[in-house]
Amino acid sequence: MLAASLKGLSERKLRTALTAFAVVLGVALISGTYILTDTISRTFDGVFTQVTKGIDVSITPRKAFNDTNQGGSPPAFPASVLDRAKAVPGVERAAGGVFDQASVIGKDGDRVGAQSTPNFVASDEPAPFNPFRYVQGRAPSAPDEVAIDRKTVSDEGWKLGDRVKVLGRSAARTYTLVGVAKFGDLNSVAGAGIAVLTLPEAQRVLDKVGRFDSIDVKAAPGVAPAQLAERLRRALPGSVTVRTGTEQARQDSKDVKEGFDFIKVLLLVFAGVALFVGAFMIFNTFSITIAQRTRELSILRTLGASRRQVLWAVVGEALVVGFAASVVGLFAGIGLAPALEALFKAVGAELPSGGTVIEARTVVVSLVVGTLVTLLASVAPAARATRVAPIEGVREGATLAPGRAARLKTPAAIALSLLGVALLLFGVLGGHSGGAALGPIGGGAALLFLGVALVSSKLVKPLSTGIGNPLESAFGVTGQLARENAIRNPGRTAGTSAALMVGLALVIFVTIFAAGLRHSIDQAIGKSVTAPLVVENKDGWSLIPGSTAAAVGRVEGVSGTSSIRLAPGKVAGAGSTDGITGIDPATFSQLFHLEWKKGSDSTARALTDTGALASESWASSHDKHVGDRIVVRTQSGREVPLTITGTYKNNAHSLGDLTVTNPVMERDFAQRQAQYILVGTKPGADVGQVKAQVERVLDARYPTAEIVTKDGFKDTQTKWVNGILSFFYVLLSLAVIVSLLGIVNTLVLAIYERTREIGMIRALGGSRRQVKRIVRYESVITALIGATLGTVLGIFFAIVASRPLASEGFSLSFPVGTLLLLLVLAAVAGMVAAIGPARRAARLDVLKAVAYE
Amino acid sequence: MDAPLIVSAVDVHRRFGQGETAVNALDGVTVGFPKGQFTAIMGPSGSGKSTLMHILAGLDRPTSGSVAVDGVELPELDDRRLTQLRRDKLGFIFQFFNLLPILTAEENITLPMRLAGRKPDPAWLDELIAKVGLADRRKHKPSELSGGQQQRVAVARALLTRPAVVFADEPTGNLDSKASEEVLQLLRGAVDDYGQTVVMVTHDPSAASFADRIVVLKDGKVVSEGPAGDRSQVVDLMREVA
Ligand SMILES: Nc1ncnc2c1ncn2[C@@H]1O[C@H](COP(=O)(O)OP(=O)(O)OP(=O)(O)O)[C@@H](O)[C@H]1O
Ligand SMILES: [Mg+2]
Repeated sequence: MLAASLKGLSERKLRTALTAFAVVLGVALISGTYILTDTISRTFDGVFTQVTKGIDVSITPRKAFNDTNQGGSPPAFPASVLDRAKAVPGVERAAGGVFDQASVIGKDGDRVGAQSTPNFVASDEPAPFNPFRYVQGRAPSAPDEVAIDRKTVSDEGWKLGDRVKVLGRSAARTYTLVGVAKFGDLNSVAGAGIAVLTLPEAQRVLDKVGRFDSIDVKAAPGVAPAQLAERLRRALPGSVTVRTGTEQARQDSKDVKEGFDFIKVLLLVFAGVALFVGAFMIFNTFSITIAQRTRELSILRTLGASRRQVLWAVVGEALVVGFAASVVGLFAGIGLAPALEALFKAVGAELPSGGTVIEARTVVVSLVVGTLVTLLASVAPAARATRVAPIEGVREGATLAPGRAARLKTPAAIALSLLGVALLLFGVLGGHSGGAALGPIGGGAALLFLGVALVSSKLVKPLSTGIGNPLESAFGVTGQLARENAIRNPGRTAGTSAALMVGLALVIFVTIFAAGLRHSIDQAIGKSVTAPLVVENKDGWSLIPGSTAAAVGRVEGVSGTSSIRLAPGKVAGAGSTDGITGIDPATFSQLFHLEWKKGSDSTARALTDTGALASESWASSHDKHVGDRIVVRTQSGREVPLTITGTYKNNAHSLGDLTVTNPVMERDFAQRQAQYILVGTKPGADVGQVKAQVERVLDARYPTAEIVTKDGFKDTQTKWVNGILSFFYVLLSLAVIVSLLGIVNTLVLAIYERTREIGMIRALGGSRRQVKRIVRYESVITALIGATLGTVLGIFFAIVASRPLASEGFSLSFPVGTLLLLLVLAAVAGMVAAIGPARRAARLDVLKAVAYE
Repeated sequence: MDAPLIVSAVDVHRRFGQGETAVNALDGVTVGFPKGQFTAIMGPSGSGKSTLMHILAGLDRPTSGSVAVDGVELPELDDRRLTQLRRDKLGFIFQFFNLLPILTAEENITLPMRLAGRKPDPAWLDELIAKVGLADRRKHKPSELSGGQQQRVAVARALLTRPAVVFADEPTGNLDSKASEEVLQLLRGAVDDYGQTVVMVTHDPSAASFADRIVVLKDGKVVSEGPAGDRSQVVDLMREVA
């Protein structure tokens, strides 16, 4: 029977190749993802092991709580810890250092590197602790000297002796380039520009005078690192973490890798989508060929093949195709990994890579998943094949009788859809935190897709009529024939278009969601920001030095400024961490309009260093009211008692859950940098002139900052949405490509079936062009059915997903133009998919087609 | 025999395959079909009847020789022109698979006209449909029609464009005698009433007896050509040439 499977395969090369290609794409994405992320992991492991080689024990600040959302680096600890460490017996040497985000200003006046990669300032450390190796020049030894990572130096074309501006927590300063550094073996860490300064200068620039971010310790001869770590742990305060050098390397590597983890999950999700779509195509192809092979199977049965043997002939074919395609996909992944890397680079995230790491897990997962998906998709068609009765197929034009399962199909499809919707709602509205919701949402969406795909064979007729009738009016008989062809096998058309439906639903979902995001942010800024001008980082999200506000405030025509600062905090008794906003109470209300729930603008003006304003949604979910006292813990473990004096509606998260004064931000949360600064102008002052003057001040002293009008602020705050959207489009396009291959496959099979009909049309005077048109329009109809269903589902997903966000000011907005454009694109894609099959149909030999056997 | 020839073939050869296994399906056929007459092509199986018809109808090309339909030399035409010729000047009736299963009877009848981008004359369409006895079956799909009804649809389709000539390859090969007779009567009627030219390939002497003339092929050559006569005369003729 296996021989029969293999023979079947080689006889249907094109179809097999197309089917296999769907699996290849999905598997390639899986293996490419693993290879890429494993390579990154291995690189980081190596680097951190290398740079901590001279360190026996490492002392770092302890975060009061883990926070992934609100950013913020762990707070530095006082320099006195170093003295206490040095006093511990067994410590031969110990040195403190600082390392934090800052900006290296490139030749163009902007921060070096890609938009989304941060820059850092590090303090020079004495040997043997220094992680930097100088490939040119030397370490900085004077306050006005700097060493810079090799990648940045070569990107910028700098030479030793050049003057380079570095900007930390205060105004920029110019340094002389004295060294070119490598971080371990790397020219750069994930593309981040790094400036190495002397310790005192680095502390000054990072606003950490008298404090350290880390202390490196070398043990005296004969003292084991673990033993020394234990001693230090006992001697030092609880605000620090003590690890051996090896542990620290592992931890550092883990921290960095965690940043990349979401990339892995994201890519695997897209691989899953591509495979899911591929499964539709495989199912479809097998179903069609089983129908076409009814006769062959029947003869096999007549000759004595058992049902089980027929089953295995089909399953065996799936197994061979699935496995072979998985192997190809696995290797294609090796080629895909650099492409994925390039994709990330395009959106600004540079990933380090060295060699290709193929773990056993990559091989196993790729092969198993690819083979399994193919196998699962072929089970139903294989079961159908077993129902071919021995004599049935010998009759001309025999078709398979629908089985018992067919009667249950519609109820089952409806049940699946409902279950999918229920799971979706459970996932979205169940109040799960981030990752936990992903399971029910993904599962729910998959079930809904399956359910709709099954039901959709009932929708093929009305939809084809709806789409085909205009085609008939426009193109006459070819349009009509295309429509009738689409309708004649509703299950087949449904299955083919369902694959496109999946990809398109996701495309439409992200499109609508992104439009909603943009719209909501626009609206929130439009309603809340009353300042005519805003100062922010040029990248739209990084922090700017706190002193920028004062410098801007001195510019003529500026009536006042209000800095908005952000820091993470944790309220005692509340589970999650909360974003805390800092404002300048005196000027805030003039420049920002709050939608008050309890209180008024005078409440904001009266906000003191012991008071806090709370967002309505936070307050109600934590059962807090005006007058309640809360205690907020900061990252450094400090506890800040505050009294709630008012509540506001938090539109599109323009503020955090809690709002405090900037002095509290500075004193307790150690946040001296601003997210953005609202700038007011004096009555009668020319806004354009004020803006130009502020620009001059910023260029000279705060080159990472820029001043924008309120509309410009809307643009910069929504720009990132477009970046993410295009990233999603690229990955979803894989699923769409697979579904288009599905259309090609179905068309080719259909044309094979309709050889005689096509021949007859040609004999009766149908031209090649008309035959092509019939195929093309059928493809367009199929694509548009998928697009229609996909649009409906995509809109549904967007509505469901936006429900829980409605209270936070998220409002959906339907980009009608874009949605229509997507429909047009789907139709065009249908045309493109039909090119090959149409040509094939047009080339059919008329005589062969009409000459009967 | 004075009527002008609407279809003529001169020294037509058609060879299939090459070298040792080559088959001369047509081996120098010269034959003419007068306008407004009903001609039957007969001959034993494998004698080249279908091949000749395909070549006359522009569905296949001769290896050598010339073929003209209504004054047009076929071997000189490219595929596009041949298609146009079939659409504008020829009508077809096949033995099997005459109709598109996705179209109704009426849509099948009007298909060639619509492919040509023309609208059928409604009166003529109604008359034809009534003539083939399908007035109450216009909206039926082929699967809902009997074999005889299906062939009558094919006849109506072939006649609708008033083609220069209708080619029929074993149009009754699949039908019982009653249904066959109905189809043949229709063809006969078309010739008598509208002056339609019909060329029909058949095995069946009874079918051939409906024709005005008979052309007999054997081993790719014309072995007899003459008036048809009744069934027994046809049977005698066939026995003679065998
Ligand atoms: N495409 C082809 N390739 C090779 N040989 C062919 C081809 N078509 C026809 N022939 C051969 O040419 C000869 C004539 O065939 P044709 O079909 O014209 O016969 P026919 O008279 O129509 O027979 P029947 O009464 O059985 O239909 C036969 O020997 C046949 O095998
Ligand atoms: Mg024949």
